[in-house]
Amino acid sequence: MEASDLELFGRGIRHATETCADQALDAALDELGWRDALLADRSTAVSLLFEAQGLVVADSSALDWLLAAALGEDGGHTSVVLPPLRRAAPPARVRAGRCEVRGIGTKAVARADSTVVVAEADGGPVAFTVKASSLELRSVRGLDPALGIVEVTGDLEAVAGRPVDWEAAVSVGQLAVGHELVGLARAMLELARQHALDRVQFGRPISSFQAIRHRLAESLVAVEAADGLLAAAWDDPTPVTAAMAKAMAGRSARAVARHAQQVLAGIGFTTEHPFHRYVRRTIVLDQLLGASSVLTRQLGEDVLARATLPPTLPL
Amino acid sequence: MELDAFKAAVDAWLDEHERVLTCDYEGIGTLDQQMAQLGKVMKMAYDAGFMRMGWPERVGGLGGSNLLRAYLGEALTARDLVEPGIYSMPEVLAPTMIDHASEALAAEMVPKLLSGDEVWCQGFSEPGTGSNLGSLACRATRTDAGWRINGQKVWTSLAQYAQRCVLLTRTGTAESAHRGITALFIDMDSPGITVRPIETMHGAEEFCEVFYDDVVVPLDRVLGEVDGGWSIAMDLLPYERSTALWHRAAYLERRLGQLVSAAPAGTLSPTAVGEATQLLWAFRARSRATQRRLAAGQTLGSETSIDKVLVATAEQAIFDLVAEGLGPEVATGDDPVSARWRAEFLYSRAATIYGGSAEIQRNIIARRLLGLGDDR
Repeated sequence: MEASDLELFGRGIRHATETCADQALDAALDELGWRDALLADRSTAVSLLFEAQGLVVADSSALDWLLAAALGEDGGHTSVVLPPLRRAAPPARVRAGRCEVRGIGTKAVARADSTVVVAEADGGPVAFTVKASSLELRSVRGLDPALGIVEVTGDLEAVAGRPVDWEAAVSVGQLAVGHELVGLARAMLELARQHALDRVQFGRPISSFQAIRHRLAESLVAVEAADGLLAAAWDDPTPVTAAMAKAMAGRSARAVARHAQQVLAGIGFTTEHPFHRYVRRTIVLDQLLGASSVLTRQLGEDVLARATLPPTLPL
Repeated sequence: MELDAFKAAVDAWLDEHERVLTCDYEGIGTLDQQMAQLGKVMKMAYDAGFMRMGWPERVGGLGGSNLLRAYLGEALTARDLVEPGIYSMPEVLAPTMIDHASEALAAEMVPKLLSGDEVWCQGFSEPGTGSNLGSLACRATRTDAGWRINGQKVWTSLAQYAQRCVLLTRTGTAESAHRGITALFIDMDSPGITVRPIETMHGAEEFCEVFYDDVVVPLDRVLGEVDGGWSIAMDLLPYERSTALWHRAAYLERRLGQLVSAAPAGTLSPTAVGEATQLLWAFRARSRATQRRLAAGQTLGSETSIDKVLVATAEQAIFDLVAEGLGPEVATGDDPVSARWRAEFLYSRAATIYGGSAEIQRNIIARRLLGLGDDR
């Protein structure tokens, strides 16, 4: 994208995420041509939108659209069944001609007419596009009710499955969620930073105390580490680099949440302050498409088993 | 020369001359051996033209972007041909000369540094001046014969090998703080200089105390403006946190790779290995972006403190794993390879101390990048 177009597009995206929610945000993204941008310049479209969503705890159907496109589903407002939290493997399994579904969905699944279900099968992952009514959806409130997660189960006839590259789709989804986590982390840091400047104790702003300053500095280091790794992963979006970037983003956002919560102290512990919404979203997104704890241990196990590091990041 | 062509040329040259370039000692060697190895590699790389790439022609370079220097150092450290700390010193000293010395002085001196003919050191810290550089006291007085220097420096790396020194001196009143500092370029064989090496806990005399007793320096050896030394120090610090750190990451990647193949099964926590790997890759991603900004002509500043915090954190995480996966080797191994693991584990403890402590980096981040204002 040209610099001037990029600036305009970025501003449009931020405005949309700040002013619209949910279905209205979906409509605004369509109007901005986000899905055309996704085809033309995927890394820009994804990083801009998902970080912007994180900055204001917005949600849209964009993750479903992104995954559907990566799974070869073109056009339409298709949704995609996601793996259960913590995991990144396909949410279904083909066995004896049946497709057993155990996954979760975003609001898009509850809304869409059709849904893509990817299942493990003998010859590798296959995708089925199924009527939403053929699946059982159960609303899950949990830690972050605003996200509108649903539990998805089903037992379908396994017909007309088409082979798909699930790993590639998960990788791009992990990068998207990673950018959203970076947005959440930046916003939490900003809330804590502003509070530290405003809050006066012992006759001076608490931002003048080194214990506070170092927590906030440590938070910025964590955010920039994750952001840098995400940017590098787009240059070479292999499953390994995407998983590393997603894990780093989750670990960083949780570290920032810890520091920011301590700096915000009493007021940050109330629902009168917006901080709690960010913490809720952070914990849930850290679990989505592979929890940082699982991805990190898996990376270590692979490195130790092969006695080899991931491919080096070239200059 | 384009980066890809340069990479291919460097790699081919290193392959071709591998036998001559390789260290003639096993393990970490003594500091004398390391310095001799460094001189040999630099001389060969200079004569082959590689060491001149990425430096301006007016100081004997062959032009091209800083990315070429970043790659050369990466290739040399990743093959264990040089120790990254001592190899990367020109990354700080040469830009200082290029930006602040007179054209004639820079043109005369920089080639001696890049070719490995000379070693230079950096006289900043003093017994009473560590993190608070603005309080330095080593006095330079202007006389007809030149600047007369009296005082003491400490933690001056490689001073016992150095032919020259970039020295920060107090030229204003004692209260002038950062306003009354002048940078001088001095010859280490000047009468009145006494160098006393200090043995570190990792077993090398890497840095020294340096005493200056009525040392006379010609008036034209001022770098930048008289009383303007603070800005030179501030300009130089981002260099210390850019290309040199990229070189260091190549070394850390090599060691982490060696560790995961040498550590017996079950001795390393997979999660800790995963975390250290992610951290090192995150640092490389960040540092690569820094190299590219430098190549695009941008001025580096306080944001490089983030690079420094990241690389120091990664280094200590990696060597914490070394102390676990290769615990017996580090503790009691007498062979050269174990001795190297031990020395490098100990050296990693200093990663959050030298070049601006982790606390100072966080202070910079808080003040300059987060806008948190004064800390008092």
